[in-house]
Amino acid sequence: MRKIIAVSIAASSFIILADRSQAADRDGGAQLAAMCTSCHRLDGGDGGIPTILGMSPEMLTRAMLAYRSRERPSHIMRAVALSLNDEEIATVARYLAALNK
Amino acid sequence: MKSRTRREFGCLTGGMALAALGPRLGASQAKAKVAVVGGGIGGATAAQYLAVSAPTIEVTLVEPKPNYTTCFFSNLYLAGLCSLESLTHGYETLAQRYGINVIHDSVTSVDPVAKTVGLKSGSKLPYDRVVVAPGIAFNYDALAGYDEAATQVIPHAWNAGPQTQLLRRQLESMEDGGVFVLVAPPNPFRCPPAPYERASLVAYYFKQYKPHSRILILDAKDNFNAQDLFLDAWERHYRGMIEWLPAQFTGGVKAIDVKERSVRTASDTFKAAVVNVIPPQMAGQLAQQIGLVDQSGWCPVDPITFESKLQPGIHVVGDATSAGDMPKSAFVANSQAKACAFAIAAVLTGSERPPPHLFNSCYTFLSPDDAVSNAVSFKPAAGTIKIVDNFVSQVQESAETRRRAAREAQSWYAAFTRDTFG
Repeated sequence: MRKIIAVSIAASSFIILADRSQAADRDGGAQLAAMCTSCHRLDGGDGGIPTILGMSPEMLTRAMLAYRSRERPSHIMRAVALSLNDEEIATVARYLAALNK
Repeated sequence: MKSRTRREFGCLTGGMALAALGPRLGASQAKAKVAVVGGGIGGATAAQYLAVSAPTIEVTLVEPKPNYTTCFFSNLYLAGLCSLESLTHGYETLAQRYGINVIHDSVTSVDPVAKTVGLKSGSKLPYDRVVVAPGIAFNYDALAGYDEAATQVIPHAWNAGPQTQLLRRQLESMEDGGVFVLVAPPNPFRCPPAPYERASLVAYYFKQYKPHSRILILDAKDNFNAQDLFLDAWERHYRGMIEWLPAQFTGGVKAIDVKERSVRTASDTFKAAVVNVIPPQMAGQLAQQIGLVDQSGWCPVDPITFESKLQPGIHVVGDATSAGDMPKSAFVANSQAKACAFAIAAVLTGSERPPPHLFNSCYTFLSPDDAVSNAVSFKPAAGTIKIVDNFVSQVQESAETRRRAAREAQSWYAAFTRDTFG
């Protein structure tokens, strides 16, 4: 019974684990995304903090730059955006956009 | 169970992950062992992120308790706004999904020469690296009359669980018109805004059920975190209910009379219906035992890898650390644990260590639908950790902004506890 449970849990979550590990080793996207997951769920949004899944890298990059410039108001996201350089924003945007593809 | 999950993982990705990790690693390579001591936010996060970083790292997490109740959000429970169960998280996902070897036992020793962790049951766990996340201990010598035995009558409720339940029972039993005295600790301590969030939410509870009751905060300090936000909220929501007396006014809290339920300061004695003492704090007991603690009472660490400055090969994360400008919070413990995990994984797999992104963002409830937040970024500098950007909610924000923040806070809790416990 425990083996069956282990298999089904592993199967349902392998996508996230596999993607996280592969991307981590190429350009650090998974490590950067670890900062996001302190607040953003990777299994969808829930009406409070918005989801960061299902967007293109361009949409995510534009959002981060808008937070950085205060065009979009959020002191939390502004602090996050300021802590990432342009290359890091591009990297994490690529990583998040590729999740669950 | 653990090895089956790992094998399936390797097959399904076609071994690409393993190949990409480092030049010399293959399925037959002996696994590197990392032991994590303490299953609080820092320990659980470290264990998970170590396990996810590389399938060649074998992670063991040692935690005495069968589950973890978050101290953050426990003030909502004290106000009767949520159950303690909703704040309690198990280790099953970490064990089953991430293949972490979770052992429910106490650590009695760490031998940095033999590289073993000694358990109360008698076993010794060998390690290549160890992460110690022991949390806080209370200084029971600081206030006359307030020793460990006293906590069973006058709780601190600064570790969530039975202490929080005791305080809740006392608040529930209190008659209308009673005084709740809260003794607030000196810096540094776990969660700077929390004593004042507690006062706020207990005031909310009193306002609904015992409106003639009062709250008196006797502080060891002369100012406190986000003071302007709290004073503004207390005036708006709980006018006349909360009084805060700084040390410069009282001369400081000197003694607790457990039998009389009174608190003595240099200037006065205050009798109460319910007393909550939040004692001065220091690094958790185990850290002191292993020699990780300096004269400040906390553990000095490398600002990038969180390796102990006093004991090489032993890493420390979470409230127990002395980490420059970083406050003691669950968010910080989670942030440090990730940086530490990535640093250890890089060493063990021979790959490049990513630059740490240290951050803190805390939500504080002034009332159930009035919440504020801060956002602070940090970076290693000059051998310590310094604030880069520091933003916080403003006093003049609209009620709608504060309501939205309260909804975000609930959403944050769900995401954060999933991020930590899987």
